[in-house]
Amino acid sequence: MANVRLVDLTKHYKRGSEVIRALDGVTLDIEKGEFIAVVGRSGSGKTTMLDLLGLLLKPTSGSLFIDDIDTAKLGDSERARMRAHRVGFVFQEYNLLSGLNVLENVMLPLRYVKNGKDGRARANELIDRVGLSDRIKHRPAELSGGQMQRVAIARSMVNAPSLILLDEPTGAVDTETAQQLVDLLKRLNREDQVTILLVTHDVDIAGEARRQIRLKDGKVLTDERVGEGIPVA
Amino acid sequence: METIRNITRHKLRSFLTISGITIGVLALTTLGAFAENFNALLDGGVAYFGSSIQVGAPDGQSAPIIPISKIDEIKKVEGVAAAFPGYSFTAKPGQLSFSFGVGDTIQASDPAEADYGAIRLTYAQGHAIDAGSQGQVVLGTTIAKEFNKRVGDSIDLPVKPPDAKPDFVNHSFKVVGILNRTRTAPDNFAYINIADGQMLLQDSLPDAIKSSIDVSQITQGIAVYAKPGTSLAELDKIADRINGQVPGVKAIRPSTLVDAFKQFGTFFTGITTAAAFIALVVGGLSVINTMFMAVAERVREIGLKKAVGATTSDILSEFLIEATLIGLLGGLLGYGLGVAIVVIRNVFFPAADGSTLFLITPTLTAIAIGFATVLGAAAGVLPAWRAARLDPVIALRNE
Repeated sequence: MANVRLVDLTKHYKRGSEVIRALDGVTLDIEKGEFIAVVGRSGSGKTTMLDLLGLLLKPTSGSLFIDDIDTAKLGDSERARMRAHRVGFVFQEYNLLSGLNVLENVMLPLRYVKNGKDGRARANELIDRVGLSDRIKHRPAELSGGQMQRVAIARSMVNAPSLILLDEPTGAVDTETAQQLVDLLKRLNREDQVTILLVTHDVDIAGEARRQIRLKDGKVLTDERVGEGIPVA
Repeated sequence: METIRNITRHKLRSFLTISGITIGVLALTTLGAFAENFNALLDGGVAYFGSSIQVGAPDGQSAPIIPISKIDEIKKVEGVAAAFPGYSFTAKPGQLSFSFGVGDTIQASDPAEADYGAIRLTYAQGHAIDAGSQGQVVLGTTIAKEFNKRVGDSIDLPVKPPDAKPDFVNHSFKVVGILNRTRTAPDNFAYINIADGQMLLQDSLPDAIKSSIDVSQITQGIAVYAKPGTSLAELDKIADRINGQVPGVKAIRPSTLVDAFKQFGTFFTGITTAAAFIALVVGGLSVINTMFMAVAERVREIGLKKAVGATTSDILSEFLIEATLIGLLGGLLGYGLGVAIVVIRNVFFPAADGSTLFLITPTLTAIAIGFATVLGAAAGVLPAWRAARLDPVIALRNE
């Protein structure tokens, strides 16, 4: 059973009289626990696809199922609830709240989830797993870029989502830190069987994924297992 | 906790915004306390004049005196339960002082009248004057404090002015009782009995007619009472019957006096509170401005919160709580400062006659803090709505 299913997913924008086909009839099945890199040039539709998968955007047409739930039928509040429970986000610019310390930032999504009483223990455990136990009371301004992104990764997992979406997560760090972050993601993916979908321009980072989807002009150009060169059916 | 952090994030801006509310609530508290004090005084007038009929000299008569025999005529009018003579003199003749309320007054009345009056007088010390014994006085709390008198002390009334003529006459009275505070006219009254009142009336007459008038046969006014619980409309009808049946007197309809008191009270409260509300609304505008700035600065934060699961109502309530807290903080500070000013003014700088100018009531407290809080919340609605409606995709990529 697919974790995420895109069926003829389309997102068009209007700019004046021109119609921009940001995503144009994409159909994909993503299995639970996959580690996928989405690549493509600027304007290929990567970010639009990420926003649609994260339920931040509504498609113009087509269907999107997450854990077999048809997201097209959800209202705004239900979409927000689904984001809280089933989707984690990691952004290039970390997007940590400067007034909160590491633990508070990781716990932020718990605010919007009922029955989050075990959240603090879960947050502490995740901070430990991303190697920041000794920085738990630090504010973002006291952390390096790599450390901030680790906090963001821990935050994305605090509600135990089934899907984590990462938008250029290594775009603001050096190569060595980028590799450490990818290693961390691979470990979390393996240990927690969480599905990871990562948008990147970086060929090396994309090469670390087990499946690579290349977009062009809003369509899937290629979709193959890395190293195998075998198209995904 | 995060709300407090957000408020303290921009300390100067938050301080200025909260100060705007503080100044408004400070104005509301002090002006409101002033109005409450004045209204308590007016309420006493409403209670007194709403439960009795004042009978005086007829229109056109210059001297405020009427034959005491009119009391018996009035008692025969249908609906009249009791009628008492009354004499009133200024306690400090020749001394002009500004006062919000009734000045110090010597009031001569029958102790039995207390059973009919709407204002129930209770004693902090001592007891009522003895109707049959002259030379006794019961002091209201303000006048007792002004002259520093206790039960057993003596007081000369009327008080001799500094520039009194050699023929100025006053008499020594023994203080037998001191009243509890009423916050209305009796606080400034010195109660003596009818015989002493007639003695003071005699003193006040010009020498040319002093010997020819028997003061025991005249009164300055008559307070008429119906049985307890009689309505204002019925009292008006009794006043009309007195005017119709008893010549040589003028009974004033109680509703005329009550309406005048109420009208003045409404006008005074309106003026004072309107000034304070204007100050508060200006404070409210500064909250709106601050909250719009907060939304503009926290666009990415809002986008992030939506991305991690915040609903529109979550964001709306976060900003509303922040604005409400600003209002509440300003309200508490303004109210605290207002109470401090009022207490200092009342305790350390009372009016010349010893009376207080301000009265903090539970209603005023609730209005001052409640209005500031509601104002903060109301001022936050528009910015919070804007924040809640932000598109998370645009918000997340906001530079």
